[in-house]
Amino acid sequence: MKKNGVKMIKISSKNVDVFYGKKQALFNINLDIEENQVTALIGPSGCGKSTFLRCLNRMNDVIDICRVKGQIMINDFDINDKSCDVVRLREKIGMVFQKPNPFPKTIYENISYGPTIHGMAQSKNEMDEIVETSLKKAALWEEVQDRLHEPGTGLSGGQQQRLCIARAISVKPEVILMDEPCSALDPIATAQIEELIDELKKDHTIIIVTHSMAQAARVSQNTGFFHLGELIEHGSTDKIFKNPENKKTQDYITGRFG
Amino acid sequence: MKKKGSFLAPFFYKQSKVLFSGDSLNLILFTFIVLLGFTSYYFGRKKAYRIQYTKKRLTALPQFYGYYLAIWCAIPAFIIFSLWAIFEPTIVKLLILSDYSNQGYLDNELNLIYEKTKSLSRGQFTGEITPFIEASAKKYLNLRSIAQSSKVVIVLSAIIASGAYAYKRISSNSRTREPVEKFLKAVLFTASLAAILTTVGIIFSLIFQTIDFFKVIPLFDFVFGTHWYPAKAFVRDSSEALDPSMYSDTFGAVPIFAGTFFIAFIAMCVAIPIGLMSGIYLAEYASIKVRQYAKPLIEILAGIPTVVYGFFAALTVGPFLKEIGNSMGLDVSAESALAAGGVMGIMIIPFISSLSDDVITSVPQSLRDGSYAMGATKSETIKKVIFPAALPGIVGSILLGVSRAIGETMIVVMASGLAANLTLNPLESTSTITAQIVVILIGDQAFGDPKTQAAFALGMSLFLVTLCLNIVALRVVKKYREKYE
Repeated sequence: MKKNGVKMIKISSKNVDVFYGKKQALFNINLDIEENQVTALIGPSGCGKSTFLRCLNRMNDVIDICRVKGQIMINDFDINDKSCDVVRLREKIGMVFQKPNPFPKTIYENISYGPTIHGMAQSKNEMDEIVETSLKKAALWEEVQDRLHEPGTGLSGGQQQRLCIARAISVKPEVILMDEPCSALDPIATAQIEELIDELKKDHTIIIVTHSMAQAARVSQNTGFFHLGELIEHGSTDKIFKNPENKKTQDYITGRFG
Repeated sequence: MKKKGSFLAPFFYKQSKVLFSGDSLNLILFTFIVLLGFTSYYFGRKKAYRIQYTKKRLTALPQFYGYYLAIWCAIPAFIIFSLWAIFEPTIVKLLILSDYSNQGYLDNELNLIYEKTKSLSRGQFTGEITPFIEASAKKYLNLRSIAQSSKVVIVLSAIIASGAYAYKRISSNSRTREPVEKFLKAVLFTASLAAILTTVGIIFSLIFQTIDFFKVIPLFDFVFGTHWYPAKAFVRDSSEALDPSMYSDTFGAVPIFAGTFFIAFIAMCVAIPIGLMSGIYLAEYASIKVRQYAKPLIEILAGIPTVVYGFFAALTVGPFLKEIGNSMGLDVSAESALAAGGVMGIMIIPFISSLSDDVITSVPQSLRDGSYAMGATKSETIKKVIFPAALPGIVGSILLGVSRAIGETMIVVMASGLAANLTLNPLESTSTITAQIVVILIGDQAFGDPKTQAAFALGMSLFLVTLCLNIVALRVVKKYREKYE
């Protein structure tokens, strides 16, 4: 999305280093994420792309030995600053995980969980509406509208992942982080999720970590290539896939290593 | 012709010293069987290696040949050895007492003669020795020594026979793996059978006495009677005929059932909140270092013998509560339900905290991540996601704690007294099923007396209550087990 012809930068990371204990996992990452675009992070396993993703909503806080250095600006506000309220941050930045992880509750309760803890609905009707719109946006409403009060864990893998996406968008986040959301799904469910991602970028900025080059090429507008904890190259997906500057990027994309 | 036992004793003692005494012979024979089992393993393996050396393919790994030989050497001998140990005394007794048959002795007189014979032969007899008994004692020693030498011969020949048979059977195409595996399966099966049979045995021993009890005392009086006073049954003269009417209003189990559940309730009031909260703290909040030390420390509580808790309750907590109560103008019994229940609760804390810690820790991290990523705080995550997911396991741990509380005996006997008051005042003393069983069964008691049988009826009802609790616990855990994942 362009405002006054200039691309809006949603997230901007400057000199980000991440350490697990003494081991450094990310080296000096500088990456700008454009608003209302899909940014794909690709690279071989263990290259740090998921670690970077988890920096953006400070999920690394959960890991005791993990330390993050550097600056991550979201809406020109440093999320690593002491004044940052991590609860508010995560309300604004949703996340979808590699393995579908619905709560062991009903479908309805899965969706209403976020709005409840953030006090977003004043009445039962309002909540019903949030649940319905979230499920509709996640393209799941048709399939589950008759069994909203059955456990979410009873759904198929692809449905569970869309349930998790619906759960993430229920609190109307500005950014959605997706950590290999399709790696546990079959091709049909993957296609449904990819279609959904394309739809969601109208309202949300999306960052997706993926192992599938084809998926990155299909869904993203921008791509960043990570290797051994460093951001080797980033730019528009077209450029990265058709005309990469770096030899390593080219080797990875053409399947010569990784 | 009167001789003092002490005069003859050294003679018998010495004679029995000539051979090994029965016990040490058994020990030597047993050790021999075990050692032979081990060595035959190496022989069997060695033979297998030798076959392998001649470039023939074996049907199993060499050690299976070793196990095969060891089993064949040791097990038949061991079975003969054990059967011998079980039946030898009975047979010897029959042979000794056959001399006294047709002389009009009663059964217990015969038993007495046999006991005298045995103690004389051991040189420990101090009474009057009659020629009959002296002759019997000599015969006894003679029989024993014959039995012992024939035992050695038979066991050894069994070893040789079965060992030689197995050793001959070891060849390149003999099957050894299957018999060894079958043998292991049989051993494992026997082990599990032993546990099941014990349970069945316990139930049967309870059932028959319970049925006898309810023949005298109507079930209705037992279940709904509000007066438990078994001491009344003590007074009965055993020569008098049994008159059921005198037991009316004696075996009403309501007060002790009420006391049991009341004390268990007090215990759970202490154990559930503290146990659960410490479990949550350990699982979710404690750093690795704190957890490393705190968890074993809490589990030490579970290792304290209940009798120690008992005197802690009776000598420390009880008097302390009484003093506090008195200073506030309350009438507190030194043996109060509160003291017993409170200490019992402390005893149960580690079960609940440790088990709930385990189930909380086993809730997948992905659920926590999902909740945190929604912007939930730690306490919201615990309250709304982790606790419900871990609930089946937590309920299971609580029910386990309840069955411990209901079955606990020592604390109640020591700290809450034995008078079966029907009360809901925690400051008064009350009694439980287990404590009453102890009261009934220690000291003198006559079998076939309703007073004694009452203990079995109580044991049976206790068993049924805890069985129901366990079934409910298993059901709950099973029903919700697959809820996440």
